Amino acid sequence: MKSVLRLFEKARPVFQKGGRLAVLKPIYEALENFLFAPSTATTTAPHVRDPLDLKRFMSMVILALIPCIVAAFYFFGLRLAAMIAVSYMAGGTVEVLFAVIRKEDINEGFLVTGMLFPLIMPPTVPLWMVAVGVAFGVFVGKELFGGTGRNLFNPALVGRCFLALAYPETMSAGWLEPSSELVGRFFKYVDASSVDAISSATPLALAKQGEMCSLSHLLLGSVPGSAGETSAIAIILGGVFLLVTRVANWRTVVGILGSFTFLAGILHHAQSARFGPASWHVFAGGLLFGAFFMATDPVTSPTSNAGKWLYGAIIGSTTVLIRNFTGYVEGVTFAILLGNIVAPVLDEMVFTVRFWRLKSEE
Amino acid sequence: MRFRGGYDILLQGRPEGLVRPMPEPATLYLPLRSPRFTFTEICVRHGQDVKAGDPLARDRRNHGVPLLAPRSGRVNLESAENHTVLEQAVKLQQPSDPARKQMSHIERESGAAVMRQRQLLALGAWQFFYDAHTGALPDPTGSPQAIIVCTLGLEPFVTRGDVQLRSRLLNFTRGLEHLQSLLEYQPIFLAIPDIRSDFADIIRNRIRGYASVKILAVPLTYPYDNFRILARRLGLKRSNGPVWALRTEGILAVDRALTLTKPCLVRIVSIGGAGVVPATHIKVMPGYPLKMIKEKYVFEPVARIINGGILTGETLGEQTLGLDAECRGLTVLPEQEGREFLGFTRPGWGRSAYAPCFLSSLRQRFRERFSTGMRGEGRPCISCNYCEDVCPAGIAPHLIHKYLYRGLIDGAERARVDLCVECGLCSFVCPSKIDLRRQFFEVKQLIHDEKQAICEEKARLEAVREAGK
Ligand code: SF4
Ligand code: SF4
Repeated sequence: MKSVLRLFEKARPVFQKGGRLAVLKPIYEALENFLFAPSTATTTAPHVRDPLDLKRFMSMVILALIPCIVAAFYFFGLRLAAMIAVSYMAGGTVEVLFAVIRKEDINEGFLVTGMLFPLIMPPTVPLWMVAVGVAFGVFVGKELFGGTGRNLFNPALVGRCFLALAYPETMSAGWLEPSSELVGRFFKYVDASSVDAISSATPLALAKQGEMCSLSHLLLGSVPGSAGETSAIAIILGGVFLLVTRVANWRTVVGILGSFTFLAGILHHAQSARFGPASWHVFAGGLLFGAFFMATDPVTSPTSNAGKWLYGAIIGSTTVLIRNFTGYVEGVTFAILLGNIVAPVLDEMVFTVRFWRLKSEE
Repeated sequence: MRFRGGYDILLQGRPEGLVRPMPEPATLYLPLRSPRFTFTEICVRHGQDVKAGDPLARDRRNHGVPLLAPRSGRVNLESAENHTVLEQAVKLQQPSDPARKQMSHIERESGAAVMRQRQLLALGAWQFFYDAHTGALPDPTGSPQAIIVCTLGLEPFVTRGDVQLRSRLLNFTRGLEHLQSLLEYQPIFLAIPDIRSDFADIIRNRIRGYASVKILAVPLTYPYDNFRILARRLGLKRSNGPVWALRTEGILAVDRALTLTKPCLVRIVSIGGAGVVPATHIKVMPGYPLKMIKEKYVFEPVARIINGGILTGETLGEQTLGLDAECRGLTVLPEQEGREFLGFTRPGWGRSAYAPCFLSSLRQRFRERFSTGMRGEGRPCISCNYCEDVCPAGIAPHLIHKYLYRGLIDGAERARVDLCVECGLCSFVCPSKIDLRRQFFEVKQLIHDEKQAICEEKARLEAVREAGK
């Protein structure tokens, strides 16, 4: 390792100001700091810092996604690998480009977006669409706002929303039937051309027509749906890990799932023929994935704890409304994007009250 | 209001409960600056012989608080910059008694309390008084709405109150009584860790009859020993007049000054941190040469010596030669060493972190050997809210940071940056490694200066108008 470090040391002048490749400094630095923890020291008090940094923070999300990724491979096959690779390449290009233009560091946040995006895509979606979607998401959803930390919307969801509006047929018509073999599709590459594997509808679409698939299928994930969103067990496993490590805030998740269950329960109680039971709806579609991995994105959710409760409640109830009263079978994407819009307002409200109360304190 | 936020950093090198003696130094180096004071007015000549307890210099801006000679010796004003050096220092049996000399000057009608406060000032005990809200030195002729006495030292690693109190309980209670005599009816709040402990019982028994000492239990979480936080916890509003605050060493100094009319010359100072063997307490006097302490306790070849605790202390540079008059402890930190390969993928069995993102969270709580490393790169704020969770002041550091990032100082003001007590916890936990504390410190300074300038401008205009009439 010493020799690699020395290599970096030697190459540094080339990338410094005035060097031949000074433009590529962000790339050089990202690579260097990716391999070797930076050597900067504190200058003022506090003289020590917590060991957690953003790299670790973001890699926690990737770790939490592993169960979902494994489930996605199992049910939908090796094509996912290609989707992930394309997503990273396309999104990474945009990210690096902007880092170079802005002369800023390359930000770790993109590692998460690049992984989340393919998981919320239908498994048969053409690869070029993955590339377009993620590039659009990163560009419009993040870079236009000033990069990680300043974005208003979750980039992955912006990308998906864009594709859903631009290519509605591809995005909602052909769903891949999950593998029914014991070994799954770990070693199989299935795409849209293998016609026999294409089913027409997700459980939520079927439910609209009064056909409910069994809960055990939803829990396991052996239903058609977006690549990483089908297996409730895998999502909960990773999601709970995120909550325990405090990378995701539990208030958001509880807010969403609580309000969703509550409202869906009321609807079911009122008209059980028309609306499915809440315990079924919670596990269907992208709700769990959205609640654990999308809505909890710290940047785009409200920062204050009270704001997180409200935010969760808004997302949960909006999802119920969209699912049950509109033509859309799935509502999580829009609900979370709506939540993203109101997040700053919620924070504003919470802080106004807080500062008003602080006034009387000192 | 209850306590909010707070967090305990588990850092290796907590000072043990012993007090170790140090050899008598032959030369003392008294820095002319300490965190609160700048002793600009030198009261001695070069080459003059002084006795222990004589004032060497004063700080005019702080009510003339004196810098007392801790030992007898010969003054050397030329050998070190920004220091008063005391050569051939010896410990005399009979320290001089500056108080008595001064007493005659003080008019009798100024009242018993003010006279005692003057005596405290002359004997070097007044410097242990703080204004709880501002942290400044209170006016020795004033009178407070309440006094807070805090026996805790929670920041890693400042002097522990329990160590200072050991075998000095009598002095402590006597000091409290003296404190009482400075007041008319105002209460004294005594902040201690546990109201059911033996210590609390003793205090309660001893001060029975002095009804206005109220005991407050303070959880052992940093920074609940902060005077401003305590004042807020007790609901002592700034608008109702000043709140004075003291720590254990202050009460002991008061006792010494008012019972024995003797200046307070030696003190117990902690030396802790990851670079110290053994981490302990030492009995020293202001001006004690840092070199001698380093030789004895610091084994780390490259280490940062911090005056005070790890979260708020100042680095002691090469130019500082001796302990200053306000030193509350020394913390030694090894400097950051080598770079970890793929550091962020390490399981982190030995990392003591705020968010349980390392395997170490499966272990029991333990003390990590921290270094001065930043442990990450600076990034934009990701709104993780950790800083708000730990903030004891109940404000939102990330919000203030975002205002400051956009240059909106009045936004920061509206977000109550003035309530920040500069505990440093927000900077510590921030995964984006933002220097929040320093930013707040600077902007507060800026706001303060601006307000001052406006006041001065107003006064000037007023004067012009007066002259015009
Ligand atoms: S330094 Fe100030 S803002 Fe930061 S945690 Fe402490 S009191 Fe809060
Ligand atoms: S801890 Fe740092 S990154 Fe997190 S909200 Fe506070 S300022 Fe932002």
